Amino acid sequence: MKFLLRQILRIIPVLFIISLIVFLLVRVTGDPISLMLPETATEQDKAELRQSLGLNEPLYVQYFTYLGDLVTGDFGESFRYNQPALSIVLERLPASLELAFFSMIIAIIISIPLGVLSAIKRNSFIDLFITGGAVLGKAMPNFWLGIMLILLFAVQFNVLPVSGTGSIYHLILPAITLGTAIAAEMTRLIRSSMLEILSQEYIRTARSKGLIEAIVVNKHALRNALIPVVTIMALQTATLIGGTLITETVFSWPGMGQLLIQAVNLRDMAVVQAATFVIAILVIGSNLLADLTYRYLDPRIKYD
Amino acid sequence: MSTSLLNVEDLKVRFKTEDGIVPSVNGVTFHVDKGETVAIVGESGCGKSITSLSILDLIPSPGEIHHGRIDFNGTDLQAIKKKQLRKLRGNEISMIFQEPMTSLNPVFTIGNQISESIRLHQRLGKKKALMKSIEMLDRVGIPDAEAVVRRFPHQLSGGMRQRVMIAMALACNPKLLIADEPTTALDVTIQAQILELIKQLKTDFDTGVILITHDLGVVAEVADRVVVMYAGEVVEEAPVEELFANPKHPYTLGLLSSVPKAEHVVDELGTIEGNVPNPADMPEGCKFHPRCPFATDKCRNEHPELEQFDSNHKKRCFYDVEKGGVA
Ligand SMILES: Nc1ncnc2c1ncn2[C@@H]1O[C@H](COP(=O)(O)OP(=O)(O)O)[C@@H](O)[C@H]1O
Ligand code: SF4
Ligand SMILES: [Mg+2]
Repeated sequence: MKFLLRQILRIIPVLFIISLIVFLLVRVTGDPISLMLPETATEQDKAELRQSLGLNEPLYVQYFTYLGDLVTGDFGESFRYNQPALSIVLERLPASLELAFFSMIIAIIISIPLGVLSAIKRNSFIDLFITGGAVLGKAMPNFWLGIMLILLFAVQFNVLPVSGTGSIYHLILPAITLGTAIAAEMTRLIRSSMLEILSQEYIRTARSKGLIEAIVVNKHALRNALIPVVTIMALQTATLIGGTLITETVFSWPGMGQLLIQAVNLRDMAVVQAATFVIAILVIGSNLLADLTYRYLDPRIKYD
Repeated sequence: MSTSLLNVEDLKVRFKTEDGIVPSVNGVTFHVDKGETVAIVGESGCGKSITSLSILDLIPSPGEIHHGRIDFNGTDLQAIKKKQLRKLRGNEISMIFQEPMTSLNPVFTIGNQISESIRLHQRLGKKKALMKSIEMLDRVGIPDAEAVVRRFPHQLSGGMRQRVMIAMALACNPKLLIADEPTTALDVTIQAQILELIKQLKTDFDTGVILITHDLGVVAEVADRVVVMYAGEVVEEAPVEELFANPKHPYTLGLLSSVPKAEHVVDELGTIEGNVPNPADMPEGCKFHPRCPFATDKCRNEHPELEQFDSNHKKRCFYDVEKGGVA
């Protein structure tokens, strides 16, 4: 509990820094005013808008105003949607989380058995097959795999919807698309981690007790082998939450990745800031979760 | 011979590596009687661990037993099914290893790891197995055993961990305990305590013990009989008093002269010069000849057999070196 509290306290300065970076990025990359107004707008119109948005103030004043708003959850209005930016982002959040979560589940379901199998059968045909598959899975571009899956399951066999959301069936293809790439990476990682653990002396001890090989592998080896894998899993989850743009586009999945890119193109500052912030918090959250899992798996790590 | 607890006959183990076949154990024969402690001594790399791991079929790949026979209590261990062999492991035959730091699984509690074999072999429930674990820890001299079962290996000292290993090994009252350099990684006082513990087993449980070590001081302390190994072969075997009083193989003489405070002082040999030969590149003839001060042309060309020259004494040397050289 103390650990959790300390971690949460540690997040606050991180959030400050993120807010500063987001704030500066949006302001140094161009003038939003010209995009926000029609081309026919006069200098007069521009000046008025600038005035009303507080863009004439010195930068630091703008920043503190912005920070003050942040604390109250106010990221400003999206000029495109004419709605509070945060609520637009939060509207997209469930779809993003859903996709990230299921992709990760698929990645785990695929990678753990395959990684373990290829380690215990190392240098066999099965190992070669799995390792080869992993290389292929990593090399395959997401959009290509996505399109292939659509062609196969949605167009050819017509068993799954092509795109959109609304049911578990809509989730299957995009989750497989994302899950495959992560599974490929994780399979290789689990394989090498397992190989290292299987040569440890405590594995020999476990065998010398008379345990069946399944328990030696699944209890004694796997638990240890997963320790380094957890960190990578957290990183992958973070990437999934924020950066699934291509897959979201291929499947018209209304996630945050799409929203963020649109907002950047339109220079919809408020939405960019809100989305970046929400993604940052999710990334921090998944790292915290990884840390907790890590501690659960490895008792050698002290809680203080 | 048929009354022996363990009978190893002409055991040969080889490793099929990328650089070719490495013969690491080359025809080892020895036996252990019920309640007897047999020490296997020899320098590092001479095949002691591989010999002992062969018994329970625990040789790491790419190693394989390719010749010989191992009988335990009259059962040919290579003829039985894997399942039957697993029933022996940790139950009738237990092992403890050199590195107490790495021999226990870091992510499970001590109680979990000891209970595991008790539950497996004695079909006890979780609670009862844990009670038994505590009892075992008590017996090997671990204070506050109720608390220790809840600890993780990293929270214990090296000596305590080795006691845990011993408790785990003894949990099912094995008939044979194989201890591979159990004290090498420990400091001297802890070493003495662990040896005392092993000695007690013999009297308390009538357990046969194979004690592997490269330390003749340890041998003198606990062993009944000694098997001296060199380059994957047995070069001498005798009861402990006989071996110390009357060593016959030049290699044993060399080992004895490097024991601190040895009762037996050998003038002819200092510490043994040179190194254990690489198993992939064994010398012709007597494998010890490059390091033997008594080596002759015959030694360089012919391979001596292990010869029983006395009712309880065997050696693998053409000559009677006690006379100070070639007889
Ligand atoms: N994993 C392995 N791969 C190849 N050779 C090995 C392996 N393990 C042991 N050996 C060979 O077996 C020989 C005997 O090893 P070992 O029984 O561990 O020696 P000891 O226990 O007497 O120090 C070594 O010299 C080595 O050549
Ligand atoms: S046979 Fe020869 S070389 Fe080998 S130990 Fe005896 S004297 Fe030395
Ligand atoms: Mg060894």
